[in-house]
Amino acid sequence: MADVKLNHIKKSYGKVDVLHGIDLDIKHGEFVVLVGASGCGKSTLLRLIAGLEEITAGELIIDNKVVNHLDPARRGIAMVFQSYALYPHMSVFKNMAFGLKIAGQGKRAIREKVEEAARILQIDHLLDRLPRELSGGQRQRVAIGRAIVRDPNVFLFDEPLSNLDAALRVQTRVEIGKLHKDLGATIIYVTHDQVEAMTLGDKIVVMNAGRIEQCGSPLELYRYPQTQFVAGFIGSPKMNFIQGTVDQVATEYLALTLKDGAQVKAYVDTSEVQKGQQVTVGIRPEHLFEGRDLASSLTGEVKLVEHLGEVTYIYMNLADGTEVVVRGEGESEIRVGDKLEASFAPESVHVFNMNGKAMPKVRRSTEIPVDNPAIMTASQA
Amino acid sequence: MKSTTNRTMSQNHPEPQTGAPNNIAKPFPWHILFFLGPALLIYISISVYPLLDTLRLGLFSEDETGATFFVGLQNYGNLLFNEFWSEPFWNALKNNLKFFAIHMALQNPIGLLLAMLLSSPKLRLSGTYRTLIFMPTMLSVVIIGFVWQLLLSPLWGISEDFMYNIGLGNYFDAWLGKESTALITLSLISVWQFVGIPMMLIYAALLNIPEDLTDAAVVDGAKSRHVFWHIKLPLLLPTISMVSILTFVANFNAFELIYAVKGALAGPNFSSDIMGTLFYRTFFGFQLQQGSPTMGAAVATLMFLIILTGVMIYLFFVQRRIQRFQL
Amino acid sequence: MLAKQAIAAPAQSWKTAFLNPGLLKKASVHTILIVYTVIALFPILVILVNAFKTRKAIFNDPLAFPDASSFTLVGFTEVLERSTFDVFFFNSLIVTLLSLFFVLLFGAMAAWALTEYKFRGNLFIAILFAMGIMIPIRLGTVSILQLMVDLHLVNTLTALVLVYIAQGLPLAVYILSEFIRTIPKELKEAARCDNVSEYKIFFQIVLPLIRPALATVAVFTMIPIWNDLWFPLILAPGESTQTITLGVQQFIGQFVTDWNAVLSSLTLAIVPVLILYLIFSRQLIKGLTAGAVK
Repeated sequence: MADVKLNHIKKSYGKVDVLHGIDLDIKHGEFVVLVGASGCGKSTLLRLIAGLEEITAGELIIDNKVVNHLDPARRGIAMVFQSYALYPHMSVFKNMAFGLKIAGQGKRAIREKVEEAARILQIDHLLDRLPRELSGGQRQRVAIGRAIVRDPNVFLFDEPLSNLDAALRVQTRVEIGKLHKDLGATIIYVTHDQVEAMTLGDKIVVMNAGRIEQCGSPLELYRYPQTQFVAGFIGSPKMNFIQGTVDQVATEYLALTLKDGAQVKAYVDTSEVQKGQQVTVGIRPEHLFEGRDLASSLTGEVKLVEHLGEVTYIYMNLADGTEVVVRGEGESEIRVGDKLEASFAPESVHVFNMNGKAMPKVRRSTEIPVDNPAIMTASQA
Repeated sequence: MKSTTNRTMSQNHPEPQTGAPNNIAKPFPWHILFFLGPALLIYISISVYPLLDTLRLGLFSEDETGATFFVGLQNYGNLLFNEFWSEPFWNALKNNLKFFAIHMALQNPIGLLLAMLLSSPKLRLSGTYRTLIFMPTMLSVVIIGFVWQLLLSPLWGISEDFMYNIGLGNYFDAWLGKESTALITLSLISVWQFVGIPMMLIYAALLNIPEDLTDAAVVDGAKSRHVFWHIKLPLLLPTISMVSILTFVANFNAFELIYAVKGALAGPNFSSDIMGTLFYRTFFGFQLQQGSPTMGAAVATLMFLIILTGVMIYLFFVQRRIQRFQL
Repeated sequence: MLAKQAIAAPAQSWKTAFLNPGLLKKASVHTILIVYTVIALFPILVILVNAFKTRKAIFNDPLAFPDASSFTLVGFTEVLERSTFDVFFFNSLIVTLLSLFFVLLFGAMAAWALTEYKFRGNLFIAILFAMGIMIPIRLGTVSILQLMVDLHLVNTLTALVLVYIAQGLPLAVYILSEFIRTIPKELKEAARCDNVSEYKIFFQIVLPLIRPALATVAVFTMIPIWNDLWFPLILAPGESTQTITLGVQQFIGQFVTDWNAVLSSLTLAIVPVLILYLIFSRQLIKGLTAGAVK
């Protein structure tokens, strides 16, 4: 069982701390996605796990062994690089065989392994070609193939789709997901793209400025973001944030006044809130509905309308100038300049304190009826 | 220089915009002549024509009055087979090959080693080392020749003292003055001066190898020697072969170092004579022998053929086989 | 047990630092580079240092720096008295700068014509120039001398300038063509739509854009010209037209036994180049490593 365990991993370059103590448990066979903006330390973390950089402090345990000082090749990992990093002077076959050859495996065994991996990836007809004779998608497969033949316990992917065009990206994403199911191996996957994270990950680790912001299943992150950063990062279009003040603290809910004057209720943990406190209120565009059918509502002037077919994104400005996005119906006939009232259920309101920490939402047995965010966000890609 | 932009000349004078919809006859492209003319005129009259004329002159001979007459391949026959001419010629050719061989044997490995060291990650002072090691390459070969002549002179004794200090004193000799060692010593001086060029070009090529590639190899289990032999060296081969052809051309065209240190006679007893000095002597004469422009032209033609052969081998065999890898 | 290891590691770190393979490797890298740097510089330094010493000190203690008793400038005064070093220097400067100017100007113009316009013979001319990179102009010396005799240019700096322009053009045309090709088409097309003439497009748009490449070409062109002995020796050996390389060569040939003078003349030839090199080394190395020469 190749569990991966990170115990308070730190990394600094000289005096600059890049990672401030990362704790993470990854179970065998899990697909874990490290996601965050560029510079958040996610790639560095992956390189630490790979053994390409030295760990400054903390412990990295793979398969119950501390591997901090083990060579990359002996950690039971394989890595797929963003640039694919195919050896340009070697044929596809030799690229895939290189690691096995170095390890001193017999010619027969090498051929068998390479051919099997090639078959899985459907690149058996390309084995004699040089990398430069391949398309981007084919190179990507070879890079994955090179990882597969090493039969690793853990696959590391460093933004593997970012060099592909949009159509190919969706297709390859689906294939990587399938591959994970077929191989049953542990995968740690770095990306800056939240759609990739939502669609591929069993577990998503949102990173920010060298720390883990939150870690959980895609839906967990979507429904219960613990920080404003995570709330803004997961979901597309982004969650709307509106400044507000606490009017009343009840046991089950808060009553708030938003900056534009609207009165709102929110079902969150109220134990650490005081009356009069400044907060940020978050509502996802897909939880705002045209019309006044639900309990609370926001009113604004429409500035921009984007018709995407099955949905319409309506950008409106509230009285105080805050921009809010509403996910309207596909057939919506609203126009720029119109006044729009968008209503929402109090259950869908998130509240963050001024440090960006979420007040935990009250978990109820009956969830708000939302579309599966994974499917929904995938359609954006 | 194969691809040219596919713009025809008419497009340079956009008729629709100027509103003159006739003019099927294109005006003479004066601007092309203006841009190309000066360079072409000078290059053809001072480089191309003299070279072709030299090839022609090699087929002539002259009498005492200086008048030239056609003799066919006689000059070449003399150079290759007539002992009076052929002995110096084969001697110079042999020496030149030795000169080149020593360059190849030392310059590329040393340049490669220095480049590898310079490109080690996070190396401090890398730029300073580079600048300083490259310095001798900038100086005139003549000056370098004199510098080493002084340093190796038994009269001054500075090298002798130095060798005594490191315990090798008994090995010191007047290397530049001995028939058996003069050419080797001169080759070493030349290597010393020009090792900066392979170092710099290989260094640049090393920088162009993406780090991901070596990382991938490390993840694949490669130790640094594997990375060097299996990844870096193959990717450096195009650069190394280019450095080699540059060295080849420069070596078979060399003159100044030998002339500065040993004079036109390339002594002792012609032991350091190479094609360049032979060409000079044949053309201008020395001591008792009269110089001959036509024989000089014949020597130059042979040098041309040697260099051309080398360049052709490079272009058609080496460069083709060693693919330029796009990364 | 794992926790123990983690705690033990930092305590040992300063001890093991000396035996740390990474550190050891770094130290050996620096050692080799320093040794080679010394090998590269030492011969030149010995010459420079001894040029400032008395004859006695040069022989008695060649590795010592000049001190109060051994310092002298006698070599330099001799060189300046017995030869026209200032003239040599001036000649070299004139020849190098003039050749450089025309190589850059004509080279850029030709590169522009060859990359921008489609006309008959374009490819042929391009190949003709490319061949000049590999085939040394020296091989045509016999006819060049004849040509200069016919033009009455022997023993003039003009002869040298002409030859050096021809020598520098092929590489200049090659490097500049590569560079001009990277200029976006839109820039030129926008200008043409505004009815800007081809001449203005070149001089006011293209030429300023290729300045970095011009600097690279300048360095590659300048060095061989300044250092050349062959053509000055053959085309302009007269006293008044000698360049510094030839002048030093002739001077040393004449005064072989005067060590002060020889060392000083070498120093006078080396120092200006060294100073220029240290100023422009960045540019030069950038040019070399930019892959400009392929």
